[in-house]
Amino acid sequence: MNRSQRIYKSIVLTVIIALFAVHISYGQKVVRYHLYVKDTMVNFTGKEKRAIAVNGQIPMPTLTFTEGDTAEIYVHNEMKENTSLHWHGVFLPNQEDGVPYLTQMPIEPGETYIYRFPIIQHGTHWYHSHSGLQEQLGMYGSMILNKRANDPTFRKGIDDLPTVPVVLSEWTDYNPNNVERMLHNASDWFAIKKGATQSYSEAIKAGHFKTKVKNEWKRMLAMDVSDVYYDRFLMNGKNQSTLSQLKTGEKVRLRISNGGASTNFWLTYAGGKITVVANDGNDVEPVEVDRLLIAVSETYDLVVSIPAENTAYEFLATPEDRTKSASLYVGSGTKQLISPLPRLKYFEGMKMMNGMMKMNGDLDDMGMNMSLNQMDMNVVMYPEITGEANKKDKGASGDQDEHANHSMPSMEDQYNSNKLSDIVTLNYAMLQSPENTTLPEGPVRELRFELTGNMNRYVWSLDNKVVSEADKILIRKGENVRIIMYNNSMMRHPMHLHGHDFRVLNGKGKNAPLKNIIDIMPMETDTLEFNANVYGDWFFHCHILYHMMSGMGRVIGYENQPKNPLIKNPRSAQRKLFSDDRHFHFMAENDFATNGNDGMLMFQNTRWSLGTEWRLGYNDMHGYETETHIGRYIGKMQWLMPFIGFDWRYRKMGIDEQEENLFGQSNTKDNRTQFSLGVAYTLPMLLILETEVFHDGNVRVQLMREDIPVTKRARMALMINSDKEYMVGLRYILAKNIGLRAHYDSDMGFGVGMNLNY
Amino acid sequence: MLLSFQSFSAQVDNSKTSTVKIYGNCGMCESAIEKAGNVKKVATVEWNKDSKIATLTYDSVKTNQDEILRRIALAGYDSEHFFAPDEAYAKLPACCHYERAKAATHKDEAMANSTINKPEAGMHDHSAMTSQDKNQLKAVYEGYFSLKDALIKSDGSAASAKAKDLLAAINAVKMETLKPEEHTVWMKVKEDVTTDAEHITETKEVSHQRDHFTTLSKNMYQLIKVSKNDAPVYYQHCPMYNDGKGADWLSKESAIKNPYYGSQMLSCGKTVETIN
Ligand SMILES: [Cu+2]
Ligand SMILES: [Cu+2]
Repeated sequence: MNRSQRIYKSIVLTVIIALFAVHISYGQKVVRYHLYVKDTMVNFTGKEKRAIAVNGQIPMPTLTFTEGDTAEIYVHNEMKENTSLHWHGVFLPNQEDGVPYLTQMPIEPGETYIYRFPIIQHGTHWYHSHSGLQEQLGMYGSMILNKRANDPTFRKGIDDLPTVPVVLSEWTDYNPNNVERMLHNASDWFAIKKGATQSYSEAIKAGHFKTKVKNEWKRMLAMDVSDVYYDRFLMNGKNQSTLSQLKTGEKVRLRISNGGASTNFWLTYAGGKITVVANDGNDVEPVEVDRLLIAVSETYDLVVSIPAENTAYEFLATPEDRTKSASLYVGSGTKQLISPLPRLKYFEGMKMMNGMMKMNGDLDDMGMNMSLNQMDMNVVMYPEITGEANKKDKGASGDQDEHANHSMPSMEDQYNSNKLSDIVTLNYAMLQSPENTTLPEGPVRELRFELTGNMNRYVWSLDNKVVSEADKILIRKGENVRIIMYNNSMMRHPMHLHGHDFRVLNGKGKNAPLKNIIDIMPMETDTLEFNANVYGDWFFHCHILYHMMSGMGRVIGYENQPKNPLIKNPRSAQRKLFSDDRHFHFMAENDFATNGNDGMLMFQNTRWSLGTEWRLGYNDMHGYETETHIGRYIGKMQWLMPFIGFDWRYRKMGIDEQEENLFGQSNTKDNRTQFSLGVAYTLPMLLILETEVFHDGNVRVQLMREDIPVTKRARMALMINSDKEYMVGLRYILAKNIGLRAHYDSDMGFGVGMNLNY
Repeated sequence: MLLSFQSFSAQVDNSKTSTVKIYGNCGMCESAIEKAGNVKKVATVEWNKDSKIATLTYDSVKTNQDEILRRIALAGYDSEHFFAPDEAYAKLPACCHYERAKAATHKDEAMANSTINKPEAGMHDHSAMTSQDKNQLKAVYEGYFSLKDALIKSDGSAASAKAKDLLAAINAVKMETLKPEEHTVWMKVKEDVTTDAEHITETKEVSHQRDHFTTLSKNMYQLIKVSKNDAPVYYQHCPMYNDGKGADWLSKESAIKNPYYGSQMLSCGKTVETIN
């Protein structure tokens, strides 16, 4: 509504300029757009926040072309930072692809940059910034490529329907840089906001105590289907809007792009079935469904109708975590609502994950061949498919594990949502191209990728290597490249290939559908193939913005390809490209307590960790102590971290007069400066075992765990070591950066205080 | 004027007031409508069950009329601006089933017709009456099967509603017109069957409903064995319900769909007897 999007600061002026600036010259078939990219303030939630508007609007304006046109897009960067625009799903010469430091140098502040390329395809596409986290701030928009009127593939009853471009997105009041930092620091603030903490007390209430213990035994933190808490979900920049110009009995084609940075949306419609007619800009044989999930960056063309008079039917987009939704009312009159999707049964999901997770962190598909979203393990969490959560129901659910030896229904059917209910959910096996999509004859190159990552440290990778750690993959022009991907991580990833469409081998033979994103769920294996037909360095990456930024991708280039003239210094450009995932995330915490200050400071990236902890008393008797560790995480799950350390301690006779450690070594407790070598290892139950040898030969073994989720907002901490020191603490989280903490420390005694963290 | 207005809605800032018609019946509707609409310090709704008019008072900076009416519609109540989802309306308690303004869907009409036509059929014509004799227990079986289907879906409120239908069918049985074998068994099981059905209507907790469904199924089995059936009925068994004591049920299909676990173990169990 009118309050949902207010953009200030000379926007009016920009719009006026833009109106004059968008002159479309059909004569030469060059279609020209001017885009003015500008910092702005928006108000989605009652608070003014920074965003980026293009021609004064969020989303960016819809760009429309017809196959055969030449696009000429002027980007005027009026911000104080670099930018770029990527034309998602569009076939074009590599240097127009819009990936900064890979296909071009970034567009500098004040610069006007021209993208120019012929339009050689049709379909629903979209465009977005490929610089940093700008996409999250509003830089996404629809890009509609129409068929020529005489196109032989023109479909009567579909291509002649009224058409509405719809771009889905989400909004957070937090600065996206902060969102990224919090994800890397395993902050559970988003889970608290979503009501998805899954703490011990909640587990007990739901009859799932053993489930929670087993989950932590397998070293998992509470998981959700998505990572970020969002304040608003939007369709074309609005939470609620109406398409009132449509009449009863009419059909409309919604051209939907998911411009969300990290949100998959469920799409449902109050006026009956939804007919899917295209996906990722490619026509598919019409298929009727009750609902579908549109993964991040996918596009779907959907036909819906308006069945009754004086009624507008709700088209509902619900984020996968089901926290909120966005609505578009199709038609005019009283608004017919559709039932919202019920909240997820998180503990059922946790139980399912426990079953799939091996002790070594690999996933075990138990012999099911999963692919193409046909089996969705998450159905165990969907009340509309598998029934409401039954609290402490005898025999059913909960901690009882006896189902295991009971005659189970076939594994596949247990997770096949279309077999479990009469709700028809779209999956990739249902998509069929109306055309023969067979690739031209040619040699075949096979590439295999394992999607890897770990939630605890928010590191996402391919074959346990991030972009900066891997070489460019070289393919040869003319060959057919077959990609086989297996998702061995706990999250789903929409994998996107730039510059090419690929066939998804889904059992439809010659009519395999063409796509440029494939959403791959945990434990799934999917096979794609494409013809290598256009030179250049093309990005292949997960489209979840925060996964991409942590390095989940590869560069695919061609052997013997011409140099990109836009990249004058390939070496320094590459260093810039790699800096995204090399970047260190900062975290700090201090507890201002009655018995002293307790705190830490940490810088971490994909592999390295630099951290300092301190305990500072208020007098010499309590003492002062700091420990610094520089370590490197080893292995895919990153449970092991060897480190070098530096300790300093000063104290005048402590409360605890212990002078010998458990190994009988004497301890220079009161004034001590030491270097050390050590190793930290994450044990089941997420306990960290730290073994450290100091340069004077002393050995210290320490066991600790922080952040045990006792209730939604209470966290417990435990520590004990071979110097006979121990600590117990309880923290109550008041707000994102503030908590109350009470603890007992063997050196400093009992204390209560205020905990501040960043 | 301004002063009195502010004192009226002291707890809501930037207050704005509007009135709107919301459909509903009774006092229960009133509390449900108000509960759905109210948000502390942001919106208050007062609905009058006689005039059906609601007075909305809300903070116009933080919310708007549509947001409030949308929440009320999602709770099952139509207004001038929103129609409730059909499922939300269906879930309202019987006394709250107000007459909806929107055109009934075809499904609703078909159901309405079938309930109107039946009772009149057997009143005068004797042949119709005999056919109804068979139907008497048939209605009971059908009621049982729909209840079972609701349990398969683990849908407590649907099960409760289906049990109500079953109860009505049980009460409609005229014992004296039953066949002798049927009569004997009916005498034996009627009381238990009634109690179980009543208990199932009274709760929406699926686990409790399933407890009663075990004994209900046993009695139904005895009854159906002596009845003449048009089609085979399958007596099926789940070995693990109730800590391994097991439980049985009847189904018209040979394929196993377990009403004791629903989708959690949908195909657990086996057919132990086919009753023709
Ligand atoms: Cu993209
Ligand atoms: Cu990803």
